[in-house]
Amino acid sequence: MSADPLQSLFVFGCSHHDTPLEVRERFTLSPDQAGALGQNLHQLPGLKECLVLGTCNRTEIYGLAQSRDHLPALEQHFCSQREIQTSDFQKYAYRHHNLDTLQHLCEVSAGLDSQMVGEPEILGQVKDAYARAKTAQSVGPVLSRLFEKSFQAAKAARTQTGINRGHVGIGNITADLSNRIFGRLDQSRVLLLGSGEVGAATAQALAGRGVADISVSSRTLENAQKLARQLGGAAIDFADFPAQLHRFDIVVSSTAAAGQVLSLETVQEALRKRAGKALFLLDLAMPRDIDPAVHPLDSLYLYNLDDLSAIANENLAQRKAEIEKARRILKNQAWTLWLQLRRRTRLTTA
Amino acid sequence: MPDALDNPDRLFLIIGALLYGAAFIAGLLPLLLRRKYPPALVSTLTAMGFALQTIGLNLRGLEVKGCPLGNSFEIAQFIGWSLVLLYFIIGPVFRIRLLGFFVAALAALGGVTCLIPGLDRPYPHSLSSGNPWIELHATLALFSYGLFALVALVALMFLIQRHGLKEKKYQGIYPYLPSVEKLDTMGRRLLLAGLLGLTAALLFGAIFYLRNSHLVPVFKLTVTCLVWAGYLGVAILQLQGRLVTRRHAIASILLFLLALLALWPVQNARSLPETGAPSSAAEDSANH
Repeated sequence: MSADPLQSLFVFGCSHHDTPLEVRERFTLSPDQAGALGQNLHQLPGLKECLVLGTCNRTEIYGLAQSRDHLPALEQHFCSQREIQTSDFQKYAYRHHNLDTLQHLCEVSAGLDSQMVGEPEILGQVKDAYARAKTAQSVGPVLSRLFEKSFQAAKAARTQTGINRGHVGIGNITADLSNRIFGRLDQSRVLLLGSGEVGAATAQALAGRGVADISVSSRTLENAQKLARQLGGAAIDFADFPAQLHRFDIVVSSTAAAGQVLSLETVQEALRKRAGKALFLLDLAMPRDIDPAVHPLDSLYLYNLDDLSAIANENLAQRKAEIEKARRILKNQAWTLWLQLRRRTRLTTA
Repeated sequence: MPDALDNPDRLFLIIGALLYGAAFIAGLLPLLLRRKYPPALVSTLTAMGFALQTIGLNLRGLEVKGCPLGNSFEIAQFIGWSLVLLYFIIGPVFRIRLLGFFVAALAALGGVTCLIPGLDRPYPHSLSSGNPWIELHATLALFSYGLFALVALVALMFLIQRHGLKEKKYQGIYPYLPSVEKLDTMGRRLLLAGLLGLTAALLFGAIFYLRNSHLVPVFKLTVTCLVWAGYLGVAILQLQGRLVTRRHAIASILLFLLALLALWPVQNARSLPETGAPSSAAEDSANH
């Protein structure tokens, strides 16, 4: 046994930072695969505790070995399990030890290391991975404490800084804008034009915020009906939607039409019938579906893909500005935890 | 300040105004620095300001033996007080975010009148005290002014939010403001409520006028009726769907500004002292 058991605390893996997508694909693990790999690695001699974290953007193995000498064998085992060439692993993988492992885990849990800085999903993914490892009994007192404390540190960083402020996904930005126009969305009716993925995802985000109903209109009625069923709404014949436009509060357009789907005259007529009630038009199509000339109309709010991506970038920039502040908080938390862990392991080994 | 120390009513009103100002700054700084807006702090400071303003107005009312509405200073204070009172009644029901911040700003602005000694002039008691009809008329009229002030604030918030949405602004004050639909609805409803209040005030005033027409200056009557007609016109056009959203908001703000401006000539057009003596507080103030 090494003199200081914590000297062999480690993490290795790869993430979106330095690894290209085509290589990352080979590292990627589903939750089940991650759980199985964790159990498999835990059987290796010299590895006291182990946890595998697999998300779409990262694959990481956290562990506590008896000594650092065991790590090359562990990495070799991982490569053979995932059929990854050692040269690729050496080229793209990163490794952290001891205190750096804690700091890294805290940053991962807080979303600082995520592609979309501050995104909240990562914390849930780390918690799931920890729960699986705990069930499989591949984590012991050191990793358990490390992960549980990292969740607290992540929460502190998120509440004390603005790293999670403002949305960066189209669906959530659309929902936020809808809130600014209509307030609560439980009375708002949504019309989805086209049955593409982006539009469907946006409609799904609006459904998540509790809109009253969602109708779908597409040039292919079958596609509209299929998507309407998924969203729990109704399908409208594509030829009929202009006449019914005034009945909807939010219109998400993402057709593949070559020309414009919503003309100035159609929108003006709908606004006249709405008698001052606001209308939110979201043009997610390329080329655009909605005549930009509608923008100055009173009570009408028109947003296109460029507008949404500008908002996303602005939010992302704001989050990035908070990174250093969050990192300082996490560094302090990691240092405190490190001292606690050392004290505990000394007491245990004494 | 020595003047204020001699007049406890003014002292309370000054401290109240300072607390409104503090509430406004407490809300403004986080918005400028992109920090979290503190609604509890703003509400607490506003409530403290309101409590002190109530005490101040009550002391003044005891001195003038009636509702203190005799000069521009008292009118400004009373409108500010009505505005904050309405905010505390309406705010929790409709949960209009940032309304407290705007209310504190306007109330603090009203409090600036404390710093202009010339506004707190002595006035005769004859018109404003004693007669219950005229007391009711004045109180209702200025309470409806409080409502119109709230309408103007809601309209301003509407225009800011609308501007943010039209110009694709996402950061700053915009996410904290209520939705344009909510603000639009609130503006319309409050304007109708204010119009009802002003109509009732004019009706009660008419009872006094029929009995004492010689005491009511024609200019005051004309201006008051014009303000009422302006709000009535906006309400009718709105119900007809001809003055909605942005134009309705602009009209609400302009009308309130005109109504405020009209108060000054209305005050000056009051009958000069005929029978009553100046109020002691105002007289003291003038002597200092």
